[in-house]
Amino acid sequence: MFTWDPKDLNPEQAAAVIEPSSIFLIACPGSGKTRTLTYKIAYELSRRTDKRIVVAITYTHRAADEIQERIEDLGVDTSGLWIGTIHAFCLEWILKPYGIYSSDLAQGYRVIDTHDRERLLERLCAPYKGVTHWDCDYYVTETGYQLGCPDSRKHPTIRQVLTAYFDELSSNRQIDFELILWHAYTLVRERAHIAVLLSRVFSHILVDEYQDTKQIQYSLVTSILRAGCGQTKTLIVGDPNQAIYGTLGGYAMPVEEFRTRAGIPIKELALSLNYRSSNRIINYFSNYKVHETSINGAGKHATFPSQVTYNQDATRSDVHDEIVRLIQASLSDGNTPENICVLAPQWVLLASTTRKLVAMLPDQQFDGPGLVPFSNNIDNFWFKLSKILLTESSPRLLIRRMRWASDVIKDLDSFGVDTTRLTPRALLRESNALTIDETDGLRYLDQAFTDLLKRLDISQHVFPALSTHREAFFSSSAARIERLQKDGADYINHVSFFKKVFRERTGITVSTIHGVKGAEFDVVIAFGLLEGMVPHFNDPNGHIAANKLLYVLSSRARKHLHLISEKGRSRGRYGEYGPTESLTACRFDYDPH
Amino acid sequence: MHISKLTLINYRNFKNTSLRFHKGVNTIIGENGSGKSNILRAIRLLLDDTMVRAAYRLEESDFSRSLGQWQGHWIIISVEFEEISTDESVQALFLHGAAVLDEPTVRKATYNLIFRPKKEIRSKFAALNVWDEDELAQIRSTITINDYETIFTGRSEADFSDPKVYKELVGDFELCDFSSKTEFPEIGSKVPGFLSVTKEVSLTFIQALRDVVAEFHNNRTNPLLTLLKSKSGQINPASMEPITEMVRELNTSIEDLEDVQSVRNHIRETIKDAAGETYSPASLSIKSDLPEEADKLFQSLRLFVGESEEGYEGAIHELSLGGANLIYLTLKLLEFKYQREKMAMANFLLIEEPEAHIHTHIQKTLFDRIAYSDAQIIYTTHSTHISEVSNVSNVNILGRHGALCEAYQPANGLEPAQINCIQRYLDAVRSNLLFAKSVILVEGDVEEILIPILVKQVLGVSVDELGISVINIRSTGFKNVAVLFHNLRIRKRCAIVTDLDQAFFDITIQATDTDAMTKRKTKAAGSQKAGLERQADLTAFTARNPWLETFYAKHTFEVDFVAAGNHEAVVQTLPEVYKDDDTRELAKQQLQSGHLSKMGSRTLTMAKQEGKGWFALLLAEYITPEVQIPGYILQAIHFAHGTFPLPLLARVFQYRAECRFGSNPVDPSMKKAFLYDVDRFVHGHIDLETLNASIDLMLPGDAVNDFLAEMQ
Repeated sequence: MFTWDPKDLNPEQAAAVIEPSSIFLIACPGSGKTRTLTYKIAYELSRRTDKRIVVAITYTHRAADEIQERIEDLGVDTSGLWIGTIHAFCLEWILKPYGIYSSDLAQGYRVIDTHDRERLLERLCAPYKGVTHWDCDYYVTETGYQLGCPDSRKHPTIRQVLTAYFDELSSNRQIDFELILWHAYTLVRERAHIAVLLSRVFSHILVDEYQDTKQIQYSLVTSILRAGCGQTKTLIVGDPNQAIYGTLGGYAMPVEEFRTRAGIPIKELALSLNYRSSNRIINYFSNYKVHETSINGAGKHATFPSQVTYNQDATRSDVHDEIVRLIQASLSDGNTPENICVLAPQWVLLASTTRKLVAMLPDQQFDGPGLVPFSNNIDNFWFKLSKILLTESSPRLLIRRMRWASDVIKDLDSFGVDTTRLTPRALLRESNALTIDETDGLRYLDQAFTDLLKRLDISQHVFPALSTHREAFFSSSAARIERLQKDGADYINHVSFFKKVFRERTGITVSTIHGVKGAEFDVVIAFGLLEGMVPHFNDPNGHIAANKLLYVLSSRARKHLHLISEKGRSRGRYGEYGPTESLTACRFDYDPH
Repeated sequence: MHISKLTLINYRNFKNTSLRFHKGVNTIIGENGSGKSNILRAIRLLLDDTMVRAAYRLEESDFSRSLGQWQGHWIIISVEFEEISTDESVQALFLHGAAVLDEPTVRKATYNLIFRPKKEIRSKFAALNVWDEDELAQIRSTITINDYETIFTGRSEADFSDPKVYKELVGDFELCDFSSKTEFPEIGSKVPGFLSVTKEVSLTFIQALRDVVAEFHNNRTNPLLTLLKSKSGQINPASMEPITEMVRELNTSIEDLEDVQSVRNHIRETIKDAAGETYSPASLSIKSDLPEEADKLFQSLRLFVGESEEGYEGAIHELSLGGANLIYLTLKLLEFKYQREKMAMANFLLIEEPEAHIHTHIQKTLFDRIAYSDAQIIYTTHSTHISEVSNVSNVNILGRHGALCEAYQPANGLEPAQINCIQRYLDAVRSNLLFAKSVILVEGDVEEILIPILVKQVLGVSVDELGISVINIRSTGFKNVAVLFHNLRIRKRCAIVTDLDQAFFDITIQATDTDAMTKRKTKAAGSQKAGLERQADLTAFTARNPWLETFYAKHTFEVDFVAAGNHEAVVQTLPEVYKDDDTRELAKQQLQSGHLSKMGSRTLTMAKQEGKGWFALLLAEYITPEVQIPGYILQAIHFAHGTFPLPLLARVFQYRAECRFGSNPVDPSMKKAFLYDVDRFVHGHIDLETLNASIDLMLPGDAVNDFLAEMQ
């Protein structure tokens, strides 16, 4: 039986871990949500007496990997665990096994990656003025789809584009990520047995970040829970105050509604102790609560004398000077670069600022998810292999690389390659033995792919899937590098930069507000806090959306928080952007900046 | 859950064959070369963990030769499962991958191995125009076995054995007609990665002529160790502690033995002398290394078995081959039981030609009783002797037509009543005379059919368990067969059971007799005379031969049967013999008249009308534990079997007690008291005479009294 040191979990966390019934858990920022989820999974896995499976649905693949690793580190057998995103869940557990019952999927289907999707939409948008593929984000609901584009004037055109888009996908037997959800939902609705069978297979379904979960996803989860009549337990965890994906369909479902839809008893618990931030920071971000939750400082920084500043004097042209000043002050204050984060609401703002920061702070490294130089389609076979080929063999990485290797072997197997004699260890051995003399990242990978296939005695042309994946990987990577280089990152094609991607994070983080979900830093510097950006000018619930964004970004900070609403950003014929109204409305005793 | 159907398409010598299976024991009968081993191999390709590799590497030679050119064809091995339940969690994952959802309730699951050309080739076929034979030939000529893939699918709905379905999926090579599709939902979904069917089920394959003694000696294959291993993990540390302590003490005691110590000292001294102080090891000791851990200690446990009755127990290698095989099979069955606890989804035992492993009689008993375990057993045999063990509904017969083999299910489509008759007949015509421990020879179908049933019903043990074979000679020519049982030849006991044909009515011819009456009396007198002659003949034949003895029905079996007080069983058959109410009533009165002449005549009339054998089958339905076995038959059984050992007798008594008190729980203390006496009897605390008194008291008038009476 899996046990833990009493120091590992506080009473609130431990209560959630050992609670035998289903739980709806509201976790305030920094309350050890991931830790609780990890221990809960480990605890339930160790108590497993039958072959039922514990399913954990995370918001990102990264979170899934992280939790899986943590559980393995706890020494718990994870063979009874399935963890991944909702899309992976639908593919693996519904579309693959039951797709033959869907007339759209029965003859086979292919999931297109974001790059293919963008190319297709670009082509379909071409005849229309003023609509780009960026406008064409949509999300599925139980009855159809909703557009993500806040500008309702564009909607008729977007709908025309999407109609053509769906037609083309369907005639090519292709589906995109949203359609995965749609088909899974339709199958579960039309074949009642599916939910019953799945409820027998799963002992638990745990859902992380429920506040960003879509209605249709709730629908899938609750149908299985309902079919299980209480045999399948659930843990729903998240924070309604951090629901910042409303425009993409994210919905923080109230516990009552969830309980009714699942039809099983669910206990409501909370994690209210914040271990991350100082009391001053907690006091500050509590101003932006939109749901009443209790938060109490309990960490070692609780009494830290935090600096919380708000700068409305900086201008568009000298805002990076101000950011550099803040970074340098923080560094000389003893904060490490890894613990400093620069945030802005949109990539557009970050791109130019990052370039300037890189130039002004040549000794510092910068790191952000947007700086990945190649296709980040995590389902692409060659992307998975890249992870192995771009990392070095080291004891610290061994478990992770072994897992990547077994993922690669699983894919090879599904392509029809005979893998009976290929073990993860053997694959790593062959990969480590490659020596490639190439400084261009893509050429490096291309060479590595070819050499490795030769070493493994696999001929690519025999397995068409390998070729299609390879083509997709390189064309979308090339497009990505071109775009990043156009934005000024001319160093990005170098292999040393490629190799950074899968290394442990180093340097100062640069990210959008949406991109730092779940992360924490000693010092958080946020700029571009302007009405029209925070919130987006077309958001119908602008005030609430702005509060949630401010709540999320402020609660990332452990020690210091610096907010900037710079002047002079042009808003075309509307003049200039002003500071975010929710921010100026907040009465707080800021430190002088 | 069990396999209900196996379909083989183009696999080895099966072009298109379906076999059906039921819960419990299933038999596949076929002559040599009919493909029995290939059937088991096909099942193993799907369900045996050790065959996974082979499943992914089918070869050209695995294609049915009847195809001619195999290129382009598919091999399909499809298994259907029934008695599945969405409520059983051990089956959940399997159903998730294999259950068919086309009905309101989930009742069926399918699992298939499909060996087909890869998509590239299939796409080429799909693009072909009808009649474009040159192009087809061109494509086919380039196909090698490397262009094939193995996939496992579940929840298929296609009936692969329908040639039309096959052509829709694979194509028509004669007409060059191919579907434009390359993916077919009918063949099911690929089995999800999370499900490894071979790991979910437990399957044991027992090959013909396997060397079980060697398997017992190998730690990896020893079934005893497997059983112990699954227990050693569960041992309470507290109960293990004193044993560990004793092992430690034992180790110390051995190490402290004077002789051990002196050897150790001698070694040290010799090293010192040889290598000098500088180069000698710093220390050296002799340690006793008995393991302290439960699992290692358990490895030192060995099975000892006493095969004969003298109380000597020998190790496995001292057993006869048959004995070792029996133990092996038994342990395997127990392993299934343990695995059930460990949540195997289903247990399968595949036995190739059990006649190569164990004695026919033991097999019968073994397979008969396996019904209670959760394993589905499928065995192949070329011996008709064993076929009877299995219910005829559970038999597949393989037949050969040139190079092709087909399977027949003899009971397919019959009513349960018809199957029962066939079953009894199959049971009756066996001829395992030479393997039997002892034999009762009978003259006709009637005895052959009814004696085993009487024994089973009245004594609660089957003649197989008693080791008695009832052999039908189909005439009174016993001597031809009985001559085998002799001091010089087979030294086993053989009882001959025949009729004395003494008349059971007055055969004095009266002046008032009708012609028919006179005729009947004359005939009876003739039979009576012949009977006496036969008796004289057999008496002379068996004289001074300890292995042979004859037992006579005073009249004939049917008459002696009612004479023993069993007329009510005959009454029960009336509605099936006579349609007319008046006749039924008359016959009933006669049967219940108490006059042997009337009872006997009516019974014989009925037997004659139905045909003796068929009447016996009819009568068999109404043989209950309350029936009395005619004395001469009891005598024959006692003679053939020899002395009944105490445990067997006890089983008979316990069975009788169950018959008597089982359905009437009014007085459980009676039953308890009686069973207590039986128990004391088995352990030798009381003798048979004392027990007899108890039987008189507790089971007055019970059939067992006659049985005991004939024993003396």
